[in-house]
Amino acid sequence: MSESEQARRPSLSELFIGMLQVALSAFGGGLSAWSQRIVVEQRRWLTNEQFLTGLTVARLFPGPNQINMAVYIGAEFHGLAGAGVALAGMLLVPFTLLMAVGLAYFQLHSIPAVDRVLAGVVAAAAGMALSMGFKILHQYTKDWVALVLAGAVFGALTWLHLRLIPVVLVAGPLAMVWYWPRRPAQP
Amino acid sequence: MSALIAAAATGCSPARLSDLGTLVQVIWAFSSLSLFSLGGGNTLLAEYHHLAVERFCWLSNSQFADLYALAEAAPGPSSMLVGLLGLGAGWREGPFWALLSAYGAEAAILLPSTLVMVVACLSWKRLEHSPWRQAFERGLGPITLGILFSVGLKILRTADTNATGVLVSVLVCVLMLRTRISPLWFMAVAGLLGGLGVINR
Repeated sequence: MSESEQARRPSLSELFIGMLQVALSAFGGGLSAWSQRIVVEQRRWLTNEQFLTGLTVARLFPGPNQINMAVYIGAEFHGLAGAGVALAGMLLVPFTLLMAVGLAYFQLHSIPAVDRVLAGVVAAAAGMALSMGFKILHQYTKDWVALVLAGAVFGALTWLHLRLIPVVLVAGPLAMVWYWPRRPAQP
Repeated sequence: MSALIAAAATGCSPARLSDLGTLVQVIWAFSSLSLFSLGGGNTLLAEYHHLAVERFCWLSNSQFADLYALAEAAPGPSSMLVGLLGLGAGWREGPFWALLSAYGAEAAILLPSTLVMVVACLSWKRLEHSPWRQAFERGLGPITLGILFSVGLKILRTADTNATGVLVSVLVCVLMLRTRISPLWFMAVAGLLGGLGVINR
């Protein structure tokens, strides 16, 4: 603490181990909270402010947020190599475990009892998928343009069966033009 | 085996990864989606379904739903679903191919967005107050909203459970929004209901 206020620079292997620790700690969930605790409070690689900036960048750019966050932390210290190492540290254990589960699934899923249980689990998972849109809906209830845009995208995908990439390539630029900051920042 | 039967029923034969041309197509399909994973990545679920079930015919509808549920239940980022799809893609060619294709698929979906993210980190000082960033952030929000609703409906249709199952899905959706209960509980209870035959498909 007293040695330097400046965040210290982890080596590549320290990055890997740190991210591994984040992934293991987060087994019950709460990955983002755990990475803050470990990266900011325990290991002091980043200041809290840097960490929050990282979250902003991670949410803004394409890719899973938690994975982008690992990339941000790694890239901060060692560029592309750091990003790769941090990613590997974060994914190694959960991914390997999931693949073991996957192999077991393909071996066993035709057993009727397994299939019956999975049918139930799938119903719950579908409910989780259904909740994703509702979760962010409240941010847009006062912006009718946003609702029209969202409705148009929904319709194009659901009823017209258009693919995601062309829909985003058309709707994205239109939305960006509309939301281009012309006047001093809107609330 | 049941995948083969399902595939035969829809008249679509599974794409084999050991064919080099197919492999390139598969890698291209996943890596081009990578840059469109807005809002955290779940926006791609319907596209994954399209690729794995309709276009490359590796999985049946219910297998896709099963794998989605497994990825949601497992600890770690839910985008690891792509690894499971890769596993399904290579399964016919044996467990070794399955694992190879699982790691390959995950790398294909993560690599492009990771590269963009690295560039973004390095140039964030310039991007932070740029009008491009503001327009991008505000413009893509509503698009993500539209995609997520469409994805939710698609997964519900893919799950294709009986009326009780749909009721459970809607109930879970409401509980996800209103409470902070861990979704693992919902899956455990629903799994039990499935085992007892109350939910079926």
